[in-house]
Amino acid sequence: MQKRTILSLVVFLLFMIGLLPVLAMLIKSLSVDGHFSVEAYAGVLTSQRQWALMGNSLSLSVWVMFLTTVIGVPLGLLFGKTDFPLRRFFIFLFVIPLLIPPYITAVSWFDLLGREGFAAQFLGSSFAALSSRFLFGLPGCVAILFSVFLPIPILLTMVFLRTINPRLEEAGRLVSGWRGVLWEITIPLILPGIILSAILTFLLSFGEFSVPNFLRYSVFPVESFTQFSAFYNFKAATAAAVPLVLMALVILLSEAVFMRGEITQLRSSTETKNIPLIPLGAARNGLFGLVALLGFFIVIVPILVLLIQSANGQVYSEALRRAGDSLLRSLLYAVIGATFLTVLGFFTGYLIQTKTFRFWRAIDFTTIFLFALPGTVIGIGLIGLWNTVQTNFIYGTLWIIILGYLARYTALTSRITVTQLAQIPPAMEEAARVAGAGWFRRIIFIVIPMARRGLLAGWIVGYIFSLRDTAITMLVYPAGHDTLPVRIFTLMANGSAELIAALCVILILATLLPAGILWMMANPLLRKINR
Amino acid sequence: MNMLRMNSVTKIYSGKKVLENLSLKIVKGERIVILGPSGCGKTTVLRLAAGFIEANGGSVFINEKLVSKNNRILIPPEQRNLGMVFQDLALWPHLSVYGNIAFGLKAKGVGKQEREERIQKTLILVGMDAFAKRKPAELSGGQQQRVALARALVMEPGLLLMDEPLSSLDLELNIRLRKEILRLQEKLGFTLLYVTHAREEAFGIASRIIILNKGQVAFDGTVEEAEKYLKR
Repeated sequence: MQKRTILSLVVFLLFMIGLLPVLAMLIKSLSVDGHFSVEAYAGVLTSQRQWALMGNSLSLSVWVMFLTTVIGVPLGLLFGKTDFPLRRFFIFLFVIPLLIPPYITAVSWFDLLGREGFAAQFLGSSFAALSSRFLFGLPGCVAILFSVFLPIPILLTMVFLRTINPRLEEAGRLVSGWRGVLWEITIPLILPGIILSAILTFLLSFGEFSVPNFLRYSVFPVESFTQFSAFYNFKAATAAAVPLVLMALVILLSEAVFMRGEITQLRSSTETKNIPLIPLGAARNGLFGLVALLGFFIVIVPILVLLIQSANGQVYSEALRRAGDSLLRSLLYAVIGATFLTVLGFFTGYLIQTKTFRFWRAIDFTTIFLFALPGTVIGIGLIGLWNTVQTNFIYGTLWIIILGYLARYTALTSRITVTQLAQIPPAMEEAARVAGAGWFRRIIFIVIPMARRGLLAGWIVGYIFSLRDTAITMLVYPAGHDTLPVRIFTLMANGSAELIAALCVILILATLLPAGILWMMANPLLRKINR
Repeated sequence: MNMLRMNSVTKIYSGKKVLENLSLKIVKGERIVILGPSGCGKTTVLRLAAGFIEANGGSVFINEKLVSKNNRILIPPEQRNLGMVFQDLALWPHLSVYGNIAFGLKAKGVGKQEREERIQKTLILVGMDAFAKRKPAELSGGQQQRVALARALVMEPGLLLMDEPLSSLDLELNIRLRKEILRLQEKLGFTLLYVTHAREEAFGIASRIIILNKGQVAFDGTVEEAEKYLKR
């Protein structure tokens, strides 16, 4: 009874926080003066500009999906399946761009390749004009989003590799070399993971707002944001958001229908220590050089540029003076967001893993759908629903931002919980039940202690994604509640390049340092307790 | 002629000696069963023979050819002419029965016509010719067992390694498949190295039994001698 009540409440919260704002937004866009009308949509369908936006959005996301898959999957295989040196370091290195707001990478490349950037100083203005043309448009957006989303196929490839029973590959190794085993056995088995990563990178690129906005490349999320924030045209903003909603819905539904059977054929392997690794032999050094070069260009160079651009102590004190309050708010909201995300994600993950309700798949799908939706869509939905006199205690406070985080990022913490709970034998909870423990007692004394590593990882992921959020916060933040990513974004219009670079460096440190320190401190402690 | 020879093999996992100075010989055509409790190193012997892991000390010979020595694998698994049936069978879920059996032949570059003939012959041999198009998930436990056996046998291995392949089956099916394995071994003449913790299974299959205990050979002799040894 306790269990069903609490988990029903979780479902209700997910509906209220995530789905209802999107539904309310769609319903509102279909009414004019209280009557049903498709006026806003007619405008979308008949406008040449909207079709051009669709073309741009599709070009951007298809290119990003293609490049991240073609390069990310081999990198995932290299890190997860071979004796490649310094694998952990490289995984960490490539993940960094995903952890920080994407536009920071764009700012950095602008400082390097823009008309007045470093390239202009060293290589002349004609090169800078060329590089600036490359940056401001499709190629620049693709290059930056490629570096931002590259970790997705790398990590998903590695995760799916770990789910393969090592015996399946060994059976192949008896009759074939590694090349044959990789092509015929390993890659087909992780194909669902590759497709999932391609879908995610496609949808996330399709919904990305900050980079195309900064690089002045017109896509649907930018249009939606502009219609809303510049013209306060709710209907036009919603109409521009609808293709994003439909795209996410259609692609995720197709994935759920066509890939479900495939995915369930994989089982989590308990023999992770015995995963057979491919010896790279003579190719090891060459591959190391190539990967190091890629990491240097897409991760180290952008950070170096920001550090060089802001290499002046005074700029940092100026940055803290002008945005110190936003930094503190960012940290506070990220901590609150991460904590709520961990709790909501845990219970959501629990009800998915234990299949408490018959509609557990729908709940799982909803969280993923909300994660795949552009932040601008969720932001507009939240405003449409909560911007009333009666609900100003939420809309006018930090809680509207927290609701935005919960709506979009619960999928991350619930997925981590599902993965963690899958490692705990059901008999653990059953034994406690037989011993007479109620559901709460079982959760607090058995399940949570056994899942604490996952909870910690979930909290850190929640913290990072709350801190880096730009699109939702930018739309919903009440006066006096702007966070650092939002402050940087607004300062970019009139702030100096040095100041912006310093703020970007501060944001990177605020993201990586607390998360890294917490992980390093807590992880050995948890390991000791688990022993 | 020795089909498999291990000389003073030591294997250490996470600081723990799983095998210690283990030596054994298996002559061509024999049916050897390695018997022992869980964790005694039975599966490690098979994995060393297959070339999935390397020994920390000692050497391994297959067909009197040195295949691994002191931390180094000299001949990779695919060049050892071995077949193996795994404890969990390890049938590739994305391939059909036919695809599972064909994989090795394709990898070895066997021509299409010969491949078809060998697959058909092997499927008939194990009584699975009517199920060639099915996926492993669509088969019963016993049928999956036969497919795993067919996948190993189609390569005409000199040495067949079997790692507790019948442990998950009920007694009746276990006995039936044991007889089947004996029939196939007699017909095809391969050397069999079979690992189990079940005495009855060992006595039903072996021509010679090796009992392992704590990573060392505790007994090596005929089935009758093994029965006496175990009754002590």
